[in-house]
Amino acid sequence: MNRQNLPFAAPHRLMDQFGARIASQLDLGAQQLPHDVLERLRASRSQALAHRRVAATVAAPAVLAQGATAALGGGFGFWSRAASWLPLVALAVGLMGIGSLQEQMRASEIAEVDAELLTGELPPTAYTDPGFTQYLKLGAQD
Amino acid sequence: MASEKELDTFLRGVEKRAFKRSLYHVRNQESALDIVQDSMMKLAQHYGHKPVEELPMLFQRILTNSTLDWFRRQKTQNALFTHLGDFESAEDGGEFDLLETLLQDDEANIADNPENQADRAQTLRTIESEIQELPARQREAFLMRYWEELDVAETASAMGCSQGSVKTHCSRAVAALSKALRARGIFL
Repeated sequence: MNRQNLPFAAPHRLMDQFGARIASQLDLGAQQLPHDVLERLRASRSQALAHRRVAATVAAPAVLAQGATAALGGGFGFWSRAASWLPLVALAVGLMGIGSLQEQMRASEIAEVDAELLTGELPPTAYTDPGFTQYLKLGAQD
Repeated sequence: MASEKELDTFLRGVEKRAFKRSLYHVRNQESALDIVQDSMMKLAQHYGHKPVEELPMLFQRILTNSTLDWFRRQKTQNALFTHLGDFESAEDGGEFDLLETLLQDDEANIADNPENQADRAQTLRTIESEIQELPARQREAFLMRYWEELDVAETASAMGCSQGSVKTHCSRAVAALSKALRARGIFL
């Protein structure tokens, strides 16, 4: 819009003329901003433009989905999300399986020891006797 | 869709006026800079994909809303809108003659000389001071209409009011400014 082309309808002509003169004065003031203000404005502008770039990157898949490869883009929308979860699900299932297996192995080992203790000729209370323990150690060294 | 360069050019073109407009409203340099930064971010983030010709209107509306948000945050909205009563009064004092002011302005321009140039900074400060004294809606309408060069319909859209209200605000702002400047011996 050109300041010279403001609508000078007859009743408002003087008003528009006065407004334009004030605006010219304000323009002069706006051209005399301090350096630190100009730098801050420049930084704000750069920051805004940087955020626009981020927004453009995020918007790219939407553009892809609406383009000539809409089917491909739309298909990826669901399956890519589903596929991205698969490794995570597999990892969780695997870890749970390994944990369960280790638990079972530990339980069976303890059961074996318990069974041997209970079915042996030696009573289990003998293992609490210090003299018998010493006897076993000496026997093992021989 | 506006390219990055077009957006940069647009922001570069409006940033100084946007800062000054915000400064007239909030009267604090840091706050005015924050408002302009916030407005730029919102424009780029939410409307960066819009055609470049739509950017001026969008930016004006965002700037207006950001300024109002600032007042809300500062809990001074009531103070802001107490000024609305000023332009609800039927009379603005009435006794001003815009034609007389403009004629005197012309004479002052003809008589311009190097000595007067030294007074221009003071004149500008006086004008800015009087603009700051305007009620908020009058100031907003005046600056959008004459400084941002929006037409009446665009100004009404940006301000969220009717075209009739814009005309009323502008008329009263011009009357108040003319009267105040003449009283202080300012002839443009």
